[in-house]
Amino acid sequence: MAAAGALLALVLIVQPWLELPRRVRVLVRTAPLELARRRLGGSGTAFDREYFVFLESARRRLPAGTLGVGLYGTPGTEPYTYLAGYVFAPRPVHLAPEALPEGWVGALYGAARPPGVRILQDWGAGALAVENR
Amino acid sequence: MSVFLLSIARVAAVAAVASAFGWAASRAACPPGREFRAERAAWAWAIAAALISGLVPASFLAGIEPGWPGLFALGVLAVAVGWWFRVPEPSRPSSTAGAGGTGLAVACGAVVALGIALYLVRALTEPMWSNDYVAIWGLKGKTIHAAGALPRHLFTDPAMAYSHPEYPLGLPFFYAGVAFLTGRWDDHAMALVFPIFQVATLLGLFGWLRRRGASRAVAGLAAATLACFEPLYSAFLTGMAEVPLSLGLLLFGSSLSDAIEEDPGALRRLAFASGLITATKNEGLFFAAAGCLLALAFGGARRWRCALAALPTALVVQAAHVLWRGRVPLRDFDFSSFSVGRLGEALAAAARLPGAVGWTQLALIGVLVAAGARAPESRWMLGLCACGMAAYLLLPVFAIRGPEWLVRAALPRTTAGLAPLAAAAVGARYARR
Repeated sequence: MAAAGALLALVLIVQPWLELPRRVRVLVRTAPLELARRRLGGSGTAFDREYFVFLESARRRLPAGTLGVGLYGTPGTEPYTYLAGYVFAPRPVHLAPEALPEGWVGALYGAARPPGVRILQDWGAGALAVENR
Repeated sequence: MSVFLLSIARVAAVAAVASAFGWAASRAACPPGREFRAERAAWAWAIAAALISGLVPASFLAGIEPGWPGLFALGVLAVAVGWWFRVPEPSRPSSTAGAGGTGLAVACGAVVALGIALYLVRALTEPMWSNDYVAIWGLKGKTIHAAGALPRHLFTDPAMAYSHPEYPLGLPFFYAGVAFLTGRWDDHAMALVFPIFQVATLLGLFGWLRRRGASRAVAGLAAATLACFEPLYSAFLTGMAEVPLSLGLLLFGSSLSDAIEEDPGALRRLAFASGLITATKNEGLFFAAAGCLLALAFGGARRWRCALAALPTALVVQAAHVLWRGRVPLRDFDFSSFSVGRLGEALAAAARLPGAVGWTQLALIGVLVAAGARAPESRWMLGLCACGMAAYLLLPVFAIRGPEWLVRAALPRTTAGLAPLAAAAVGARYARR
């Protein structure tokens, strides 16, 4: 029984108690916000919050019937790829494809606008484009 | 707050309705009576999760959109099966121990409540965010919900290979099911299901230990320790498959033990849990096979019945996946890469992981196992834990990105998923038979 008590005590002691007040504050402060804003302030976008703003802006501007998204101008590391795939779901996302298939839209992160594309929407921090066919 | 609370209320309503069906259907798995009540609640949620998850592929096959009519149809069918095949009252006397240690039991109850409250806060602080949630489980669930189908690109597009097409679809279907039933994809409110999985696991653990003769104090201590076990009930694991799998493994282990002991309904419970764990995570099939082999090796007169209950449903679930998505190889492993050096690297990396606190906890668990009685129920749980630990330690040897990478990335969370089984194994050694 002593060992069981010690184990329980140890499990209780190593709880991340210090983060608890912060979690409660975050929950209370962000709960009234829309879902995307809650994600924007969360852990999953901490690696680059501007990037999530870009993804969400692009998602909301995607033309109806978009079949997939080609992503340009991102570092291409795992967190960037995973978050893009999640935000644009159910559409498949390809990283910097050489050519965009019919029905796909390019999402350009940053200010660069490559030649040979037709810009559909441009909001400074990003743009949506399709290939000139 | 009101929008978020409304979303939470929607998810809670889905969970409540599905659990009500699950409770009625669990008559086919659990005998009636007080002795089974806590465990039956755990089974009710497991069946509820299976109903929500199964609703999605069943609706797709029927050519209808998943929704409340489909859930009601499935639920009524499950209730009918539960009534038709209800398990009779056990003929042998109850082995539930007396109240004993009431003060300690009350204190443990308070700690359990604290553990649940802590996990509620951790799980609901923000939308589900961990790497594997975003890249695998949530991505597939969101895709299935938004597409209203199971798009082929999830399995055939090389650019989506990071989402592990070879993983089972139980959890993505479950997420999609909740989203269809609530009418929206809300990956924040949906996190509520994780504390519900925790509560079901604690009920399953407490109920099984009590039924196996543990005092309230012993069962309470086991439940309290598990409730506050942060490596499993963490913000990071919320959204991933470990918490649902840990409930499935507990139900599978307890059913295996019950089946060997000839408890009424145990073979059905074993078969159901076997399918559940296989639909949840890749290693579910491994655990089903391990349980089958353990039963064959040590199951005595009941060995064939138990072995036959432990594996076939898992194989059926696996076959359904292969039929639906085709055969997809494991992505992160090269099984020709074994070497003693890599094994040493994996074990050394694993030994560095727990740190002083972790090793102290493991040593205390070792003391508890050594000091307890050699209960047969405990041996089944420990056997499954040992099989799981061996597999989790050995797999990194074959990791394409190197043993140390997989040990660091996966071992803490995969082994944390064994905690409910370990708690049951330890608690059973202190049961008075």
